[in-house]
Amino acid sequence: MTKRKQTVTPEEKLEALESHLAVTLKPVTPSKEIVQRLRERIHMPARDEIIMRLSDWRRLFLVFGGVLSGMMLLITIARAFYYLVGRRDPM
Amino acid sequence: MPELEFNEEEILSLASLGDRDAFGQLYERYVERIFNYVYYRTGNTHDAEDLTARVFQRAMNHIQKYTDRGVPFSAWLYRIAHNLVANWHRDRSRKQEIPLDDLPILPTKGDHPEKNLVRSQDQDALLRMIRKLPGERQNLLILKFVEDMSNAEIGAIMGRSEGAVKSLYHRTLLALRDQLEDQNLFLEGE
Repeated sequence: MTKRKQTVTPEEKLEALESHLAVTLKPVTPSKEIVQRLRERIHMPARDEIIMRLSDWRRLFLVFGGVLSGMMLLITIARAFYYLVGRRDPM
Repeated sequence: MPELEFNEEEILSLASLGDRDAFGQLYERYVERIFNYVYYRTGNTHDAEDLTARVFQRAMNHIQKYTDRGVPFSAWLYRIAHNLVANWHRDRSRKQEIPLDDLPILPTKGDHPEKNLVRSQDQDALLRMIRKLPGERQNLLILKFVEDMSNAEIGAIMGRSEGAVKSLYHRTLLALRDQLEDQNLFLEGE
């Protein structure tokens, strides 16, 4: 932005203004201290902690799903066995 | 560090049931963006930090009230931020405090660190002009340039149509251009 004679068209001026706005209004990165203080202030668990808890929760869900599937399989086998044996017994 | 998988709908439903970890994920996703918005609207890191904390506290307390009626969660958060910033400006004008025109320099993303240590006179002059614009126009410029949002996204936050945002943006550019000309400052292309 300099003081000089006006030689550009209004459209060019707006384009130049947009370019300057893009350079001036850039996203900033708050310091780690600020993010940490914010987290403490609103009692948020740290990012690592959230990831750890979530992965624990997922593991628990997988184990629970595995156990449930295993039980279903056992019940199916037992029913099939009972069906075969039950049909043979009366003879 | 592994990335968090983010399904916003699921996370929101958990957060609205009081799950703090779920809200923590929302916090991680949006804290920098909200801080950026508040930082450019207030002009100082201290108030930006304070107001950002209040935005998330308010969001946490009222998340049960959030229902997706075509307005994304981010727009809801920005509206909270916008209301708190508006109250902050009102309180300051009542107390007749001296406005803070010069934004303290925080590192910007994507630049070499040394480049961040100085802000040119051009940028300072432009920032001062932006901070003198009506709040709505400041919002628009911050959301467009800092948050890199489309007119439709900005419209969702500001409660305006995409066309209305486009029109407001054009009028804002013209107003800024006129102010620059009034001060005999002319912009050169990049």
